[in-house]
Amino acid sequence: MSKTDSFTQERLTASGDTTELERIRQFVQDKAREFGFSEQNIHKIALAVDEACSNLIRHAYQLDDSKEFFVDISPDNDDTLVIEILDNGTAFDPLTVPVPDLNQYAAQHRKGGFGVHIIRMVMDAVEYFPADPSHQMNRLKLVKRLL
Amino acid sequence: MSKFSIEQKTNGSTEVFYLKGFLDAHTAPELESAIATAIEAGQHRLVVNFNDLEYISSAGLGVFMVFIEEVRATGGDIKLTAMKQKVFTVFDLLGFPMLFDITEKEEEALAKFSA
Repeated sequence: MSKTDSFTQERLTASGDTTELERIRQFVQDKAREFGFSEQNIHKIALAVDEACSNLIRHAYQLDDSKEFFVDISPDNDDTLVIEILDNGTAFDPLTVPVPDLNQYAAQHRKGGFGVHIIRMVMDAVEYFPADPSHQMNRLKLVKRLL
Repeated sequence: MSKFSIEQKTNGSTEVFYLKGFLDAHTAPELESAIATAIEAGQHRLVVNFNDLEYISSAGLGVFMVFIEEVRATGGDIKLTAMKQKVFTVFDLLGFPMLFDITEKEEEALAKFSA
């Protein structure tokens, strides 16, 4: 039996509150482990999702816990895991964030702007789809392959 | 129930912070507040011991970025020590070893201040 038979899409519904991050990481770790990733990659996948959701909760949702978003996990063939984060906030394409310059950031006492860089470094592919007439929610798609 | 905690010890003229648990966007403000309080009290030689820290995201790393220039401007530093591999990986991904002094053992970090 292939993984795609036993492992179907699963959804976690979360709110705009940073206390949700722990539950989100646990959900992603459990599914990544079930899919067969190494502990090192399980950590990286959970970290990327944490970074994406932290940005969403703090910036797009402004810590408003009455707002909800979804974390969907599904297999794509036997060797690829796809995680999609769907939100109703103002569309913001994280891929437009520049690579941080550490010395400059330190001089400016900047504490943010690193999350997107981490996501790009640890995932195999990252795509962003803003909401449009046929899709009501913004969608950040993160892809990780087993090998 | 908090999944993150900080203990502090004063070692001569150095303040050592022992982090435990999970440092993310939810718990980072607690660390930022603890470091700000120490700096306001005149402490500029800081060591952060990560031995019992299981997880860090960029929100945790950002805390050190806020204060590093300020403490160095007064002759101090924030030295980071005793990280588990998983935690060091995150610092390494962002190139932090270029900007921060990261040691394996707390004694090494303390010795660098007294050197």
